[in-house]
Amino acid sequence: MELKEFYTTKELAELLGISRVAVFNRIKKGDIKAQKMGRNFIIFKKDIGDIDVFLSDLFRTAKDWAISQKEFPEQFYCQNSGVFQARVTKMGGLMMENKDAKELFSLLTSIAGEIGNNSYDHNLGQWPDDPGIFFGYDLDKKQIVLADRGLGILKTLKRVKPELEDHEQALRVAFTEIISGRKPEARGNGLKYVRSVIANNPINLIFQTGNAKLILNSGSANLNIKIAKENIRGCIALITY
Amino acid sequence: MHCLNYLLTMIIEIKKFGTTLISRQTGREAFLALQPFLKDVKEGEIIEVDFDGVLTFSPSWGDEFLTPLFNIYGDRLVLKNTSNPSVQATLDILGKTI
Repeated sequence: MELKEFYTTKELAELLGISRVAVFNRIKKGDIKAQKMGRNFIIFKKDIGDIDVFLSDLFRTAKDWAISQKEFPEQFYCQNSGVFQARVTKMGGLMMENKDAKELFSLLTSIAGEIGNNSYDHNLGQWPDDPGIFFGYDLDKKQIVLADRGLGILKTLKRVKPELEDHEQALRVAFTEIISGRKPEARGNGLKYVRSVIANNPINLIFQTGNAKLILNSGSANLNIKIAKENIRGCIALITY
Repeated sequence: MHCLNYLLTMIIEIKKFGTTLISRQTGREAFLALQPFLKDVKEGEIIEVDFDGVLTFSPSWGDEFLTPLFNIYGDRLVLKNTSNPSVQATLDILGKTI
């Protein structure tokens, strides 16, 4: 159980996947509300809300749809994988021309493709309501957001691993074990791939399914999984770089 | 699809299937499209897979296309121009599962 009601700048930097200096700069600009404590700043959790929502407007839009089916602009909706393929390809092209993304464009496009296609592969013919995914990106803010209102990882993995008990276990298995919810048709290595790319490159990921939220930070293969307050039936992902 | 029989080497240029290769469906389609050409492969012939010009590659596409090729041809499968980071990362993860 977490008793502490605030983050240190170091903790917040780690959570956001940015440097401490960047946190200080955002405090100075007034983006982050902080209190001075001795020579340091602390940031009250109540002032910052959900880290991921704080990080990204796109993420908030996607989360509102994933949780409560709130409508969002058509431009982010990919009803089928053909539409998604076209939009991911377009993103890759724009990234190649973008100074912040050009070094990483092939890996960013590739992991966004894996996460998005996972949603289609595991939910085709079984979408509980809205078919398809939310896919949005902001090259200025250096972020990519994907979400679906599908079955979620626990339900899809339970078909082949009935012993799974909760979302946290399912999320851990999805990112560590070579297994597929469509067994024996196709092996699932997409999310293991995402983890390995992040461990070796300056890319971060927040990924939630059910009430289990994973934070993967650049340069580390450690799985930091927390229990979130809100439940997401499908999956939602925020990639930053 | 472009194939050359030269010194018993068949060349598969991946870019002929597209330059952003990310889904299982398109990987499977590509593998099916390859079948007529595989019929002409002679015994002992090398299958050279050339990644030149590929912008984005992923394990889903790779698993549908490269894994079956590897299962059929094993050591006769040669991969060329694999310096793209997403090609490298994909081959790395497929190498752990093949």
